[in-house]
Amino acid sequence: MSGLAGHIRTESARLAALCTACGGCVTACPMTPYAAGVDAAEPGTVAAGMRDVLRDGPGSPAALAWIAACTRSGICTPACPEGLDAAFMLRLAQWRAKGALGTAPLIPVKEDTQYSPKVKAFARLTLTEEEQARWL
Amino acid sequence: MAVNPESMAPDQGQAEPAIFWYGCNMTRHGEVIRATTRLLEAVGMAAEPTGGPASCCGSPKDASARINEGMARRTIEAFNATGRGKVVTWCPSCHMNMQDSMAPVTTPAFETVHVTEVLHARRDRLRPLLTRPVPARVLLHGHLGFNGRVPVNGLVADLLRLIPGLTLLDEPYRAPGHMCSSLAGVPGALADAQRATLASMAAVGADTLCTIFHSCHREMVGLEQNHPVTVVNWIHLLAASAGIAAEDGYKAMRNAADPRAALGEAAVAAAGELPFARLIEPELRKAPIV
Repeated sequence: MSGLAGHIRTESARLAALCTACGGCVTACPMTPYAAGVDAAEPGTVAAGMRDVLRDGPGSPAALAWIAACTRSGICTPACPEGLDAAFMLRLAQWRAKGALGTAPLIPVKEDTQYSPKVKAFARLTLTEEEQARWL
Repeated sequence: MAVNPESMAPDQGQAEPAIFWYGCNMTRHGEVIRATTRLLEAVGMAAEPTGGPASCCGSPKDASARINEGMARRTIEAFNATGRGKVVTWCPSCHMNMQDSMAPVTTPAFETVHVTEVLHARRDRLRPLLTRPVPARVLLHGHLGFNGRVPVNGLVADLLRLIPGLTLLDEPYRAPGHMCSSLAGVPGALADAQRATLASMAAVGADTLCTIFHSCHREMVGLEQNHPVTVVNWIHLLAASAGIAAEDGYKAMRNAADPRAALGEAAVAAAGELPFARLIEPELRKAPIV
């Protein structure tokens, strides 16, 4: 499989193979208070659940809550003792959990169907017609 | 694509052609697009503003790799076709997506750099333009995210220190996430970040909150409705000092008691009555969360 789907699969497999699920990324994350069940769970089990999602698995409720709450703070990466790009692992896990590879979503997907019309409507308010023609 | 610091050094000759990829939601802030383009021009870069849905990074369609990839490929191919060797980003999502999902799939024929990197690297050209004092006690609104890729919090702070009359206050709080729109999707997170930001401002005696990114600006300007603070973007401050007109149009409509009346019927008609009523007005009339 090529393209973005192939990229997601390849990078997921590569990073999942290197991750030891020590939980350092979970411990460092500032978003765990917003992810149900994560603060009460052992960090390593949450990380293992995230790694499971990278391997086509269902994860765990706490891992899925953590994946859904990821806002790309990025401080998990310097916290990884293996030197892995943990933030990118979360990005991959979030793509997968949203169903990007064609499977059923594991976490809620909030997609704004009016995203593009809204961007264009604001452009008509703040840009001149000439700017809209050149810059959009 | 790795950033080559040499390529951001001041060019004493002809202006360097580039694309200023401002992203999608920056269309709320036309004056920021214009002023940033002027500032880039002033430091020797002829950056053509490009953005909106036709130049999407694909992230609005994260639930489908196929659609995401198609949107991203179209954007990279369009950029490649311009022959411009540099794309200057504004949005941290666009910048990270270029590195994480776009460039690994569709080969770019350009280097990607963030606007803060360009202006910071060429600040010797910027400094003589910043002649007008901007008296303000400023707290910079920084996030934890993206700063590990591009050290925006330090780069913008350095640029603000070039402005005469401005006092930049030091405070360690950094909000989670890479910008406020990411927090808005997690119940409670944005309100907590706003409360912590206001507490930081009070602790250091700041009267002005300076946002770095557009979505933070969009979420923060409403603080002016309930708190004695001024919210500006870093580009507004640089523009004010350089004498570039950049009135904050979004803040004016967001904080107006009646946005429709404040804009006037001609502007509403330009946006389209139905789009204004359904897409714009609800956002402008939304009560501040803090």
